[in-house]
Amino acid sequence: MEVVCGNRFLSNNYTESASSCGDGKKAVIEEPQMGEQGQEASNMEENKVVKDEIPVEIEPEPVVDIIINNVVSSFSVCSHLDLHHLALNGQNVELRRENGVLTMKLRRPPTTASIWSSGKVTCTGSTSEYQARIAGRRIARCIQKMDYNVKFKNFRIVNVLGTCSLPFAIKITPFSQKFRSAASYEPELHPGVTYRIEYPKATLKIFSTGSITVTAPSIDNVQSAIEHIYPLVQEFGKQRTEEEMVEFRRNQARKHAGVTAIEEFEEEFSESELEDYILDQI
Amino acid sequence: MASTAKYGDTVCCPYHPEAYLIEDYRAGDQICSDCGLVVGDRVIDVCSEWRTFSNEKTSTNPSRVGGPQNPLLNGSDLSTIIEVENEASSFNTYGGSKYHNHRSMTSSEQTLIHAFREISNMADKINLPKTIVDRANAYYKQVHDGKYLKRRSYEAIASASLYIACRKEGVPRTFKEICAVSRVSKKEIGRCFRLIVKASDTQVNFISSKDFMSRFCSNLNLPTSVERAATNIAMKAVNLDIVPGRSPISIAAAAIYMASQATNDKRTQKEIGDITGVADVTIKQSYKLMYPHAKILFPNDFKFSVSIEQLPQF
Repeated sequence: MEVVCGNRFLSNNYTESASSCGDGKKAVIEEPQMGEQGQEASNMEENKVVKDEIPVEIEPEPVVDIIINNVVSSFSVCSHLDLHHLALNGQNVELRRENGVLTMKLRRPPTTASIWSSGKVTCTGSTSEYQARIAGRRIARCIQKMDYNVKFKNFRIVNVLGTCSLPFAIKITPFSQKFRSAASYEPELHPGVTYRIEYPKATLKIFSTGSITVTAPSIDNVQSAIEHIYPLVQEFGKQRTEEEMVEFRRNQARKHAGVTAIEEFEEEFSESELEDYILDQI
Repeated sequence: MASTAKYGDTVCCPYHPEAYLIEDYRAGDQICSDCGLVVGDRVIDVCSEWRTFSNEKTSTNPSRVGGPQNPLLNGSDLSTIIEVENEASSFNTYGGSKYHNHRSMTSSEQTLIHAFREISNMADKINLPKTIVDRANAYYKQVHDGKYLKRRSYEAIASASLYIACRKEGVPRTFKEICAVSRVSKKEIGRCFRLIVKASDTQVNFISSKDFMSRFCSNLNLPTSVERAATNIAMKAVNLDIVPGRSPISIAAAAIYMASQATNDKRTQKEIGDITGVADVTIKQSYKLMYPHAKILFPNDFKFSVSIEQLPQF
């Protein structure tokens, strides 16, 4: 399995192996038809391989794009903060008394941080682990500028949310019937199946349109979770109908529009420049 | 005198220690099933002392014992209370009452009693039989001391256990129906439901449209022919996977709409929505998915008052 790792796009090249019909003489291996797949997610060609005796796998690999939507991280600045003072003097901050939490929003990278008076900070909204670190350091820098003795301590990624869209729709009722122990499907409560896996630790929400959202402690876990679930779900895959295709393409177009904005930001700063800039300050 | 022998701690026949003892309540005897020897005697009769008839209007209850023991309450609901009177004899010299009723129930048992009463009230409002109420009580008791549900309100757990009891007995009620008789939000009941299932390590069956058909149709005063047709439509729609990702309740509602619109007993989407708890736009959506396949969905022997072409399109 190859992994082509972009900054936030993880293309998952999944090699499928086909098997012979059992005849032994001639095996016709046909890839399930994809219909008109316009998106770059699948670069599948029509595949008709006629083999003489032994089953051999060679298939063009269906590529499944995993998009990381949110990375939640937390760290500590190791000093007690006066939220009131921060709220008055800080920029882009908002203090909510009832929770005792100060919210600071950053423009680049577009993230939101919740700051507690104990000095603990939770940062959400980033789209990669690197970006989360940069955001965290920027927040710490902002606090440092307001005359606090800060350290950047215990930075850890708490949660990663990734989504992916499989090239086929899924029959979720038989799927959830087969995996009673791990899957929980309550149509009245949520339209998707909640599938929890122990190793790698992740929670997947599988929808009948073929979209899957994964919540896991790290980006690698997200990837391995999708790899783990792909063969299980493929069994229950089915073709998308015409209306579903239209709906699907519309959703993809909307998502890609949001993603290009982040790409522009990342072109401005190269990674090493950013890291050096921040390191100088703290 | 009956002869008894103690085999360990239990009473048994001296000649047949392994024999099963038959209990004769009226005579208060325990009889060996092998030889007929009367083994135990003066066994306390646990039947009720007085027969009560429902049409008797006697205000005084001559029964000297309380109601049957609730096995879920660990027997602590045996309570003898001293009648509170305002006579001089029941007060001491300082004006305080002499006799106090010490409630010997712990607070956890108090919550159990409150919860059982709550479950019983809720079940009463939707006419659930006693078997379901008992089952719900059993589930509540099971999760009462668990670590998962420590901080949930007892009403939420009571509602969730009632929901599970209905489901396990094969007569599921929708979350919205339970919500209607409970003070808790659907979200909270859903959360408690998941926690209880996890805590008691059981599995619940999936709901299907046909579980709800008879109830919805009779609430809408639809004849059985329509009900049967609607059941058929819903089953076929699910088998053919025409309505992927839709809740079985919405499918049921749309099927009822389709079936009723084809007869003289038409029901509007709003009426069906009120009874089933499904929003009428949801019924519209599901109906739109099912309408193109109407020919296949209807059963073969269905009598159409309105032909398929004339069915409303949305």
